[in-house]
Amino acid sequence: MATTPMAAVDENGQSETGAVVAEAISKLRRKERVRRRMDLVLSVGTPIVLIILWQVSADAHFIDPRIFTPPTQIIRAARQLISKGILQKDIGFTLARLLVGYVIGVISGVIVGLILGLVRPLRSAFSPLFAALYAVPQIALLPLLLVIFGIGETPKILTVVAVTFFVLEINALAAVRNFDPRLIESGKAFGAHKFKLFRHVILPGSLPSIFTGLRVSIALGLVVITATEFVASNNGLGFLVWNSWQLFQPDQMYVGLVTIALVGVILTGIIVLIERLSLPWLVRRKR
Amino acid sequence: MGFQLARSDNKSEFVSNLNKETANHIGAQKLSKVFLGGGGENVLALSDVNLVIEEGTFVSLIGPSGCGKSTLLRILGGLDTPSTGQVFGCSDVITSSGRPLKSAFLFQEYGLFPWLSAIDNVAFGLKMAKVPKAERIERSRAWLSRVGLSGFEKTYPEQLSGGMRQRLSLARAFVTEPDVVFMDEPLGAVDPQTRLLLQEDLIRLWEETRKTVLLVTHSLDEALLLGDRVVVMTARPGRIKLDLKVDLPRPRNVAITSEVGFSELRTMLWDNLRDEVEQSLEFS
Repeated sequence: MATTPMAAVDENGQSETGAVVAEAISKLRRKERVRRRMDLVLSVGTPIVLIILWQVSADAHFIDPRIFTPPTQIIRAARQLISKGILQKDIGFTLARLLVGYVIGVISGVIVGLILGLVRPLRSAFSPLFAALYAVPQIALLPLLLVIFGIGETPKILTVVAVTFFVLEINALAAVRNFDPRLIESGKAFGAHKFKLFRHVILPGSLPSIFTGLRVSIALGLVVITATEFVASNNGLGFLVWNSWQLFQPDQMYVGLVTIALVGVILTGIIVLIERLSLPWLVRRKR
Repeated sequence: MGFQLARSDNKSEFVSNLNKETANHIGAQKLSKVFLGGGGENVLALSDVNLVIEEGTFVSLIGPSGCGKSTLLRILGGLDTPSTGQVFGCSDVITSSGRPLKSAFLFQEYGLFPWLSAIDNVAFGLKMAKVPKAERIERSRAWLSRVGLSGFEKTYPEQLSGGMRQRLSLARAFVTEPDVVFMDEPLGAVDPQTRLLLQEDLIRLWEETRKTVLLVTHSLDEALLLGDRVVVMTARPGRIKLDLKVDLPRPRNVAITSEVGFSELRTMLWDNLRDEVEQSLEFS
């Protein structure tokens, strides 16, 4: 016979083992809480420490403050740019170009990618061609676009369209091509054929891959529009950075760089948020 | 690899023969299936298969791996087409009420859609059949509770255990009130203990509803426990080797697997299957 010792029961009617387990659990919880707080402190604290180090060493002339403008001076420059309305205007120009190009590229890329994934003859005809074109850095198309469309908004937007289109086309195509055949079979078995199969099985199942494309291409789009504005624009954040170099105003250049970084972070954050809201099943899987 | 397939087009004759029996049977005659293999080699998966599944019968289909039993199920269920021969599937049978037979499928748990909640997974077939939303939800909810998943309506499949997912698949298959249920190794992915429980669920469900069922399984016990008939297939190319009637009394439960009559049937099945399994090992 097994001789399991009976748990002693205290005056509150609770068993001793229960109390021990509860204490063990709260200890684990406390440990986990401490770890999380540590993560947070490190991730926020490290950049702050680096910025302070930067400030201190620039003030002490360990590094050349004319090149490595100390943070306080960058903030001052930012204030000036804002008070003159320059920074807002440049953000507006860059965002407008980026978003118009992004939306056009996303819509066309997803549609073309899905169609190529579903229709074999079209895939055979265009997929290798698109793969080859994707290998050409899209920014290299800019001179050609300038020749065709002249200096204006169109060629700038089109470079963003190009990079977004290819990323989404490739992701949507891959999603359909690598689709779990068991789910397609399951869809057919329960009466989803042709358009219904696409609408209720293939499309929802392809969304994770499409969202990956959305995240990747917004970052690439920002890179491309910045580079485009370096050379082919007289406004926008790219122009701000490039012009500051030509006028040797590193403080303004830093303002431009930081703003570009912030725009990237915020746009990516918005897309991640939309992803979480539209794919709750995927978010729960990751947890 | 060379082989020849007899081509005959007397489907109507086969169909009328089946129809003479008047009941809603499904079946296949002289059925063969060829696949194009990867290295330009053809694979004869099924050869000259004749099988009739009578209305309201539970038929278990068993055979060595790669013998084409899943292919046979998929062809009978209308998910694939035969290379030669005749199929008399659900869409070919018109019931007395003037509609074709309704079929449903029970796959391993992976057939569930990860982006749909439990209740939406169950309701999927009804939605495709354009059942109104209120009715769809009501029927799905009823089936979820019938398989013990009340309270998990909004849960996604990945958050459920393997056994719960399998119960969800069960609800999804039965909610459409099918005439025929095709089960392709439905319990292959769950652990042995859960499997026993789910087998009892299946027995209970079948004995309550008496649908026509074709079950593909690797388990001798499962085939005998659930089936009115056990059909044994040969190694590739798959043919019907044995069609065994299981005369065990109903209602059944897992306890009968330890009875003498059951053991005798199992021994006999294994005697027949053993050579085929060995042969399939030599091939691969």
